[in-house]
Amino acid sequence: MGKYNVLLVDSIGNTYERKNKYLLELAVLDEKIKEEKDKKIRNELKKQRKEIKRNKNKHEYIVSLKDFERKEKDFLKALKKESKDYRNALKDEKTSRRVKNLKVKLFESEKKLNFYKDYIDLSYEAEFECEKARLETIHLPNIIEFLTVSQDELRTAKEEKKELKNLDESNLKKEFKEFKKAQKEFLKKEKLRIKKLRKEGLISKKAEENALIELKKKYVNALEIKRRESKKFSNKEFIKSKKYDLKKGLNTMIKVMEADISDFRRKIPIEIEKTIPYYSYLTILIPGLGQGLNKQYMKMLLFLLGSAFIYLIAIPYALGYGNYQGQGIAGLINLAEGGLRIHKSIIFMIEGIVAVFLSIIALAIFVISFIDVNKVEKNAIKGIRPSTWKETKIAISEDGFPYVVSLPALLIIIFIVLVPIMTTFLLSFTNMDPQHQSKFTWIGLSNYKMILTGQGLAGRVFWLILGWTLVWTLVATTLAILIGFILALLVNNERIKAKRFFRTIYLLPWAVPAFITIMFFSIMVAPGGVLTEILNDLTGLRIEIKNNPTLTRIALILMQGWLGSSYIFILTTGVLQAIPGDLYEAADMDGATAWDKVRRITVPLVLFQTAPLLVTQYTFNFNNFSAIFLFNGGGPFNPIKYGNLAGSSDILISYIYKLTMDNQYQAIGAAITMFISIGLMLFTFIGFRNSKQFKEGRL
Amino acid sequence: MARKKEEKDKLYLSDKPPLTLFGKIGIFLSYVILFAWVYAIIWPLFQMFVSAFNGKQQQYIMANSNFEFSVRHFQYLFTETLYLTWVKNTLIIAGTTAILTLIVVSFTGYAYSRYRFKGRKASLMAILLIQTIPTFAGITAYFTMHSIISAIIPQFTRQMMLILIYTGGSIASNTFILKGYIDSVSTELDDAARIDGCSNFNVYRLIIMPIARPMLTIIALWSFIGPFMDYLLAKVLLTNPSSYTLAAGLYTLVTDFRTMNQPAFAAGGLLTAIPIVVLFMALQKQLVSGLTSGSVKG
Repeated sequence: MGKYNVLLVDSIGNTYERKNKYLLELAVLDEKIKEEKDKKIRNELKKQRKEIKRNKNKHEYIVSLKDFERKEKDFLKALKKESKDYRNALKDEKTSRRVKNLKVKLFESEKKLNFYKDYIDLSYEAEFECEKARLETIHLPNIIEFLTVSQDELRTAKEEKKELKNLDESNLKKEFKEFKKAQKEFLKKEKLRIKKLRKEGLISKKAEENALIELKKKYVNALEIKRRESKKFSNKEFIKSKKYDLKKGLNTMIKVMEADISDFRRKIPIEIEKTIPYYSYLTILIPGLGQGLNKQYMKMLLFLLGSAFIYLIAIPYALGYGNYQGQGIAGLINLAEGGLRIHKSIIFMIEGIVAVFLSIIALAIFVISFIDVNKVEKNAIKGIRPSTWKETKIAISEDGFPYVVSLPALLIIIFIVLVPIMTTFLLSFTNMDPQHQSKFTWIGLSNYKMILTGQGLAGRVFWLILGWTLVWTLVATTLAILIGFILALLVNNERIKAKRFFRTIYLLPWAVPAFITIMFFSIMVAPGGVLTEILNDLTGLRIEIKNNPTLTRIALILMQGWLGSSYIFILTTGVLQAIPGDLYEAADMDGATAWDKVRRITVPLVLFQTAPLLVTQYTFNFNNFSAIFLFNGGGPFNPIKYGNLAGSSDILISYIYKLTMDNQYQAIGAAITMFISIGLMLFTFIGFRNSKQFKEGRL
Repeated sequence: MARKKEEKDKLYLSDKPPLTLFGKIGIFLSYVILFAWVYAIIWPLFQMFVSAFNGKQQQYIMANSNFEFSVRHFQYLFTETLYLTWVKNTLIIAGTTAILTLIVVSFTGYAYSRYRFKGRKASLMAILLIQTIPTFAGITAYFTMHSIISAIIPQFTRQMMLILIYTGGSIASNTFILKGYIDSVSTELDDAARIDGCSNFNVYRLIIMPIARPMLTIIALWSFIGPFMDYLLAKVLLTNPSSYTLAAGLYTLVTDFRTMNQPAFAAGGLLTAIPIVVLFMALQKQLVSGLTSGSVKG
């Protein structure tokens, strides 16, 4: 059995006396029961409480409350009729509909104020209605006056427009044209004058720019002022601005009134007999219902939409209805085992994953709805009024803003990123291979075991490839970083001329799409290609780069050095230019050599600033599929050492490509993908945890 | 006049110390290295340029063939291949990706920078980790997902799937970059606007967006260039030559023996590279600042 508190609380924390004498009596008893230690007296008090509750309808206060409620009902009924009559009386008035509506509202408010003010002491409900009506009687007359005056002005302006229609302003137009011409001429002259000043070196470039901007502004202003001479034009402008005024002004005034009312909503508590928030528990299964019981109808509609999603989409889908082929979550477990010929395990798996995500969303809606209803109810028991839709809307647009605007991103990430990654993750525990394309089953950790122990057709070469991948990543990236850094240092030397030229040329490898350069390098080192011929002429041997694993690897690393250095060069140049010159001057004074300066100033500063980007360069090359695959297709092939699936220059990512795309070993490919992904995530996570932003908690 | 000139020759006007012999050799060596690298960069590109215009080159680009100026490889490109269709496809895919990314990311970047909401830190960490997983990881699923969606909505093409994948893949990292940029904008401006009665959305529209415009431009640019550079997903996902993007289409000119024509590839590559190179040169400063500010300032 719930207990009543003697005092009511509002949302700010102020306390109020109860007006409901019946509940107050119960609350006082509750308090006594709580404080009483003697069991006998406590039982006595409890009995007393029961007695009061049984005789509720005979209670003096309840009787008067009922009386008030009856009177209120009659009053509202009568009011409805009266306001109808009043509206009819307004019919002949020459005002807009909106003004009439407001007038009717004002009429009602006045009546209400009159009625409710006698019952202020009886209940908070009446007090609130009274305050609301009072505020409306204060605000509405102003709004009505504003509206009538503005509308009148607008009407006269419009009438004027009709009259002006036939006015001939061709003279003015001509005049304006001439004026414009003269102004243009003037502008031109002034421009020339300023440019001349600049040429003579009397003003700076910035001053020239500012003067030109100023001039342009002056010109536009002069034209605008001149244009106002036309009556038609100024009339048009007047109507436009008045319309805007009207709309904005009205909105603001109504908003102010509502804000005032909201203020009272917060300050006047609510008093209910309920002591347990049972709505929230009763309606937990149907989001929206509880909001309806709390009389928050717009919220109810929103959550009912959520309910519709849960019961019409999420749950049926999870149970297998409305699937394309799969069986919802069940399909995730059986993977189409024993299904029809056309049933594919992979589809069952993906639909299962989608079903899981939909279920998670559904669960989230349940939880949010329950929390919402529960909170509103608990607050109402304490004395806080449930908020109206307008207040909720404001709350959503403030606190809910980040959630609302991130929603599209969340949906895209769930369905385009998370679902595929989950699929890959789950695939790595199955036996999807050339023999099991359409139907496959769960096989646990076998794939990982095979990779780690280097067994099986696909796993045999894993460690070999991982080794080359690491070598490739480290050497190629470091080479690119070194080249880019050294070049940037050299170009940045103050004695080197034609900096612009070098910087433009060095940008090229980065700017030309990599796949084009890689393919062209590949063409050049092919037998008979330009580079091959040059090498052959130089060495006198018949070198075939693409058929020699070592040469291919060296060529790849050199090519990546060529490609990657450009980006590093640009990055480093940016940082170098930002290093303050006085650092070097100070070093000069202390007698530092050039090498000292590079070692102690330049390198640490550049490294410090570009470190995170350099790390991404390593991860980029770790996954640099295009360089490997487009250059030589991962070849040359060496079946004795590498089997039929991989070539000798394949790195993990291109090996995965060959496994999944060319040879249909999707499961093993997925296992290796997970292996890489987890490794990269750890790498990033550790790197990030050591970064400054994370340590300072500025995430 | 003449005397003045003489004086100028004699006087040492620079504020730098005069070079020692050692220094002079150093400068000379620097120039040698710099020009050598210029040569290393220009030479392959020049080879491509020459091959594209060399009428003597046949199906394979060979050394030792003579030069004869001709535009027949370009003619081949336009008449015998679907080059223009590929350009159109790439432009559509790149444009849509850029717009979608911009819309989605501009909101998330703002929200993550300015609001402290429940789950913010956890989701940021998740974003950071998710972006390390290569997009390629989900390739098996993309195929099947496309066949499922297109069975329900027949209008859903593989190109649309590609657009969604590109967008989804770029949300995480771009959110991070934009968040970092907006973080560096003082919140005093927002507060002032809010006091004047701006709603959240209007604060973004009127205050943050104009300030963040340089970064938004860069994000749009990068997401626009992305599909031009990406070869892997396009090749795997698009199966019909008329739906190829440039990268996937040009690739067929160097690998598939039925369509093999390496000089035409050089010509196509040249045509593709030139606008992008011009774009890079014009916007070099902004592009680089976009690269650094995201992670350096954070």
